[in-house]
Amino acid sequence: MPKTADVLPGTLDMLILKAVSLKPLHGYGVLLRIAQISNDALQIPQGSLYPALYRLEHQGLITAEWGESDNKRKARYYTLTPAGRRRLKEETASWNRLAAAIAAALGATPNEV
Amino acid sequence: MLSRLRSITDALFRRDRFEHTLSDEMRFHMDAYAADLVKSGVPGPEALRRARLEFGPVESLKEDARQARGLRLLDETRQDLRYAGRQILRSPGFTAAIVLSLALGIGANTAIFSLMDAVLFRALPIKNPNELYYLAHGRKGNTSSNYPLLERYRAANIFSGVTAYEFQTFRVRTPAGVERENGSYVSGNFHAVVGVPFVIGRGFSSESDRDRGANPIAVISERYWTRKFARSADVIGRTLSVDGRTVTIVGVTAAEFTGLAPGWHLDITLPMSIKGLGEPTFFDARDGWTSLSLVGRLKPGVSEAQTLAAVNTVFQQFWMEPENAWARKIVQARVEGFFAHRDTAQSAGDIPPGALVPAGLGSDELRGRYTKPLRVLMGLVGVVLLIACVNAAMLLLARASVRAKEVAVRMSIGAGRARIIRQLFSESLMLALGGGMLGVLVAVVSSNAIVALFNTGEYPVLIDTSLSTRVLFFTVAASLVTGIGFGLAPAFRATRVDLTPALKSAAATIQRATRLPAGRTLVTAQIALCVLVIATAGLLVQSLRNLRTFDAGFARERVLLFNVETTAPAFTEASRTAFLSQLLDRLRAQPRVVSAAYATRTPLDFSSELRPVAVPGYPAPADVGASAHVVTAAYFQTLGIGLVRGRVFTDQDRAGSPNVVIIDEKFARDYFGEADPLGHVLVLGAEKQAMTIVGVVRNVRHEQLRNDAPRTVYSPLSQPAVGIDGRALSPDRLTTMIRTSGDPRALAASVREQVRQLDPNALVYYTRTMRQQLDAALVRERFLATLSTGFGLLATVLAAVGLFGLMAYRIARRTGEIGIRMALGATRARVLRQTLNESLVLSVAGVVIGLGATLAATQVVSAFLFGLSRHDPRTLVTVALILLATTCLAGYIPARRAARVEPMRALRAD
Repeated sequence: MPKTADVLPGTLDMLILKAVSLKPLHGYGVLLRIAQISNDALQIPQGSLYPALYRLEHQGLITAEWGESDNKRKARYYTLTPAGRRRLKEETASWNRLAAAIAAALGATPNEV
Repeated sequence: MLSRLRSITDALFRRDRFEHTLSDEMRFHMDAYAADLVKSGVPGPEALRRARLEFGPVESLKEDARQARGLRLLDETRQDLRYAGRQILRSPGFTAAIVLSLALGIGANTAIFSLMDAVLFRALPIKNPNELYYLAHGRKGNTSSNYPLLERYRAANIFSGVTAYEFQTFRVRTPAGVERENGSYVSGNFHAVVGVPFVIGRGFSSESDRDRGANPIAVISERYWTRKFARSADVIGRTLSVDGRTVTIVGVTAAEFTGLAPGWHLDITLPMSIKGLGEPTFFDARDGWTSLSLVGRLKPGVSEAQTLAAVNTVFQQFWMEPENAWARKIVQARVEGFFAHRDTAQSAGDIPPGALVPAGLGSDELRGRYTKPLRVLMGLVGVVLLIACVNAAMLLLARASVRAKEVAVRMSIGAGRARIIRQLFSESLMLALGGGMLGVLVAVVSSNAIVALFNTGEYPVLIDTSLSTRVLFFTVAASLVTGIGFGLAPAFRATRVDLTPALKSAAATIQRATRLPAGRTLVTAQIALCVLVIATAGLLVQSLRNLRTFDAGFARERVLLFNVETTAPAFTEASRTAFLSQLLDRLRAQPRVVSAAYATRTPLDFSSELRPVAVPGYPAPADVGASAHVVTAAYFQTLGIGLVRGRVFTDQDRAGSPNVVIIDEKFARDYFGEADPLGHVLVLGAEKQAMTIVGVVRNVRHEQLRNDAPRTVYSPLSQPAVGIDGRALSPDRLTTMIRTSGDPRALAASVREQVRQLDPNALVYYTRTMRQQLDAALVRERFLATLSTGFGLLATVLAAVGLFGLMAYRIARRTGEIGIRMALGATRARVLRQTLNESLVLSVAGVVIGLGATLAATQVVSAFLFGLSRHDPRTLVTVALILLATTCLAGYIPARRAARVEPMRALRAD
């Protein structure tokens, strides 16, 4: 079993946006997709997904509509809106900047000081 | 933004669907996960269990999802309201006490405010009311004028239109008798310039005023149309008999338009050309001022300042013309003398500037008289509301300490302080709004009663206090402020709980509650405020009584007054004279009639006029003329006016005999000092009629009860009398007066019958006693006295309830303590005395503070007082005693209950 990590506070929204940006997904699908694209490295408490989904929907970053799941059951599918796409781009950029900065900071050696 | 709004509205209005979606989605998630687990080899039931476990706490997650949708605040508010509703319903007595207090307070405020709205704030329902101005003069905007001045303004072409109107009480002959109706003579262009709205027909179409009698037409009001013609559509073309002239109705004004003067309904409007018939000199007379009001509408694009400059030029030029010498003098006389309180604030010799007074709210006559009284009442009623608020706050405070334990429990299980304050606030706001709603009812009922106070006498003031949006807005605002006001202290106090002792034992809460120092302060404040209201009321009531009873120089009781219509064509000049002398003989012969007389003017009939006067050889300090009355011989006896020297008129003073005159003491003193005025000759009026002084009578306050009348001269009706300022006297405007030996009202019917028998064409109208006429002149004083007394009573009741509530509460809380004290040997009398002392201390403190406040605050009503100072000790002591007695009673009932405590029961109860 690979090492897992808890999701950093504030990054769940970003991961959800990323997951639904690839293709419309239902809630459980979002969970699976995040697990898949993070190579099972990120653990999300399952239930906490829903408040986050509702918040994003409320903010107009994703929309939802009823559809049919693979096993022929009714499920709510989430899609990224143009506003969501913009937000994902911003968040990705800012995350990358932050990650690079932190990596640089942590990679510093005595010589460089 | 839009998506948020939609998601909130969806969640709000499709709440069920939202909840379903949430549940379905979560169930789907768990099922799908369980299915995956089964696929990976976990047995079915175990898979479902694990799915649920890993999903987490469903309900709390749902709550988080709801909050994400902004639903939590809503849910909580709903909860708060439900909780508040439960609390309110749980203690109906408590709720009723608060809501009723507030309803009375808010209701009284709403009633006074709706009166203010009607009198002070309402704009005229005409086109562009802001363009309309009264053309006045002097720094205070004196609007007296005359017809030549109107023509001068018209000629100057300053306005897009200048018009004029004059109030008139018309006598309308109907099959039922003569009815007096409010109305006006207006210039031909009045309806066009003012922009009067019509229901049917038309207004006057700029007929020339000087074409005397050429246009016998009339416009009536919607009110009159409804009252007299049952809103019949064929009213146009029907005729009315007004002041002896037949006029044809041409139009009906719209309901919302009641004229340019608030309080005065313009029921019948006649063109000024008809006035010219009865008063031919009206259009050219420049020897005085008339009550003609001039109104102009600004030219489009011309500013008020530009217009004012032009008005000023025209007026000052007119003012200095030699024909206006007497008019100038009158204005100066008023500045210096008897009318100083109602007129211009310029010094004698100044040329008064022309002035523009905005007419958008109508004439300021009613506003001028009632602005201050209404402010005083608004202040008093505000204090009453404050008292009601204090009551509510005290009740809530008392309950807050009872509920301290409940609050402590809720806070200890995690309720935030803000949340609890919010909850308590929803309760007080709910109570306040309940009080407000009930208050509107109170206001509607009491407004009608208040309006009825005005609607009396010769000049009833008609006010429409129907609830306007402004009034309702005021009520809602008052309720909200009230709710916040009385909810604030209790809410914060309730949440400032020291959790441990509050939870530990009931005894601890009792310890806290018995002190309730805020309650004591509040009750003291209440009593002090109450003293302020009652003392003000007491001063006003005492002033009214003084005004009604002091000796103003004429008899107020046992005098009946009435008018008889003897206009053409039923009467000629000769037949009228004969009729009048026969009528007087007949009346005198009636049983219970002591004497009977005619006069052109009667005390306090709102008439006022000054005529030039001179006594050769005796210059007056300020030669400003005199007020002239034409009377018959028995006038002085009938009105009980005392003769100081000389004689009254007799039957020998008739046409052909030497002209005689009687003067009052003021005239005698001003002109003759200590010398004997009898036998001197007095020259009266512009026509310079010479008369010999034969008598001196006591001063009579003819015009205003509060002020001396101008110097007065009386001439006999039997001698060739010249009317007002050279214009022929119209004897059909005479008032008949009889002095009776019993109740004058009992004679009204027989008088009517006597007149009818003498001549069926002569109609009696406007029958009233002197007392009624006097009371009509005291409408404002009665209005103030009645309402302030009402508010005083209300304040007392509220304060008594407050004290009673506080004492009852304290004693209920202290039952245990009292029980112990009695068990230890305290007698019932001692317990009674102690508890009584406690409330007495509060009352005395309140009364002392209140009296101090009264001494400081009654400055504002001093202008309304009469015959006593605002520090009048008798009134203040009476008020103090009334309040002490009331509060003692309010404190006695709970104290007696305390004394009746059974020691054993009380001790066991804890």
